[in-house]
Amino acid sequence: MLRKRLIFGLIYNNGGFMQSRNFRLQRVGDINWLEKNYKFQKISFSLDELLVIDATKGTKDIEKFSSLVSRLVEDVFIPVAAGGGIRKIEDAELLFNSGADKVVLNSPLYNDPELATEIINRFGSQSLVASVDYKVIDGIPVVHINDGTTAIPISLEDYLQHLEQLEVGEIIFNSIDKDGTGFGYDIDNIEKYAKAVNMPFIIMGGAGNEHHLSSGLSIDEVSGVATANLFNFIGNGLPNARSFMLEHGANLARWE
Amino acid sequence: MKLVIVDYGMGNLKSVTSAIRYLGYNDILLSNDFSVLKGADKLILPGVGNYAMAMNRINELDLASCIRKLVLDEEKPILGICLGMQLMGHSSTESGFNLGLGLIDGVVEEFASKDLKIPHVGYNQVKPHAGSRLYSGIHPEPDYYFTHSFRMCSNSDIGQTACYYGEEFVASFEINNIAGVQFHPELSQTNGLQLLKNFLELF
Repeated sequence: MLRKRLIFGLIYNNGGFMQSRNFRLQRVGDINWLEKNYKFQKISFSLDELLVIDATKGTKDIEKFSSLVSRLVEDVFIPVAAGGGIRKIEDAELLFNSGADKVVLNSPLYNDPELATEIINRFGSQSLVASVDYKVIDGIPVVHINDGTTAIPISLEDYLQHLEQLEVGEIIFNSIDKDGTGFGYDIDNIEKYAKAVNMPFIIMGGAGNEHHLSSGLSIDEVSGVATANLFNFIGNGLPNARSFMLEHGANLARWE
Repeated sequence: MKLVIVDYGMGNLKSVTSAIRYLGYNDILLSNDFSVLKGADKLILPGVGNYAMAMNRINELDLASCIRKLVLDEEKPILGICLGMQLMGHSSTESGFNLGLGLIDGVVEEFASKDLKIPHVGYNQVKPHAGSRLYSGIHPEPDYYFTHSFRMCSNSDIGQTACYYGEEFVASFEINNIAGVQFHPELSQTNGLQLLKNFLELF
């Protein structure tokens, strides 16, 4: 049986790791803080995937970010998806060579879809994850690019179709409104849009505890639940959440 | 033990290398040079990406006959991973019909069902056959990380272990000195580390 996934996200900004709330970033600590408080090599045995995003506003330094990815993935034996600031095929290549198994694109999916096609032709559909950030405005979910700052004039339905036609491998559906709140996922919109595409659908934004992760995972079309909440899952938060989910019948992989 | 990872320029070799190092094997070379491959005790054929492009690169590097000679004539143990496993079969229909290395009897095609989410991504359970060396000491229905759009089927007995995703397909095969896994052991936690260890110790 195909398992669902528990994914941990790390938001990086200019040398530090951040807690994001509605896409406003608060610095939590550097990689030493992270290694001390999260002990990745150990924690990774409770995860199914690691997501590392460079959310530095403005100019991003992909080389610096790649060397950080390279350090993070040492002795981590789960897939790693990395992105933020990929603007040309060489950027994607650099991340793959630094140990990323997939790359994540956001803004270029809208303003340079040929880059997506180029990555897919070279590395395969499975290597490209589409990050979709949306904000509900007057009751309607609107896709935002450029780190959540710019609304695009295409409906969410049409945008998801556009991504499907590009043949991206998976979608991360991230609610800017719920981001970092710890109030739970945006279940209504997730239920509505997860069935709109025929590809793996990952949800992000709002999970604050193991109950939220469980309820997100229980939606049929949801392939994985992601959280980037550094505060709520500190220490043994993630191993405990995974045990809780498995005890409550979640369809997650089992490690001996 | 001298281990050579065949480097033909496709895919992430870092995770495979670091998983093998983690297991305590440090004599690892990345190479596409015949004499280096010939000097290896064991070979690993990794790969991520497009089948047609991968075979092109292998042919440009003149590696196909070299690998066939080492594996079929000299019986050097080899483990193919993901695309590397698919390349070991007879052919694939990804980006047109392309012949593979022909080390085992298997053909690679799209998943038959049109209702599936493609690519097949995530951890899925496999059912190892009795007496498997690859899964020695591993849980009876272990989870492994898959990420692929095409899959292998075979009508022959190639020591296959099945995985189910809308249909049964070859998750792995093992026949004499030849083994291949569709999934990524290097991304499959303890289950994957043990499988790599089994290949290194039992083949």
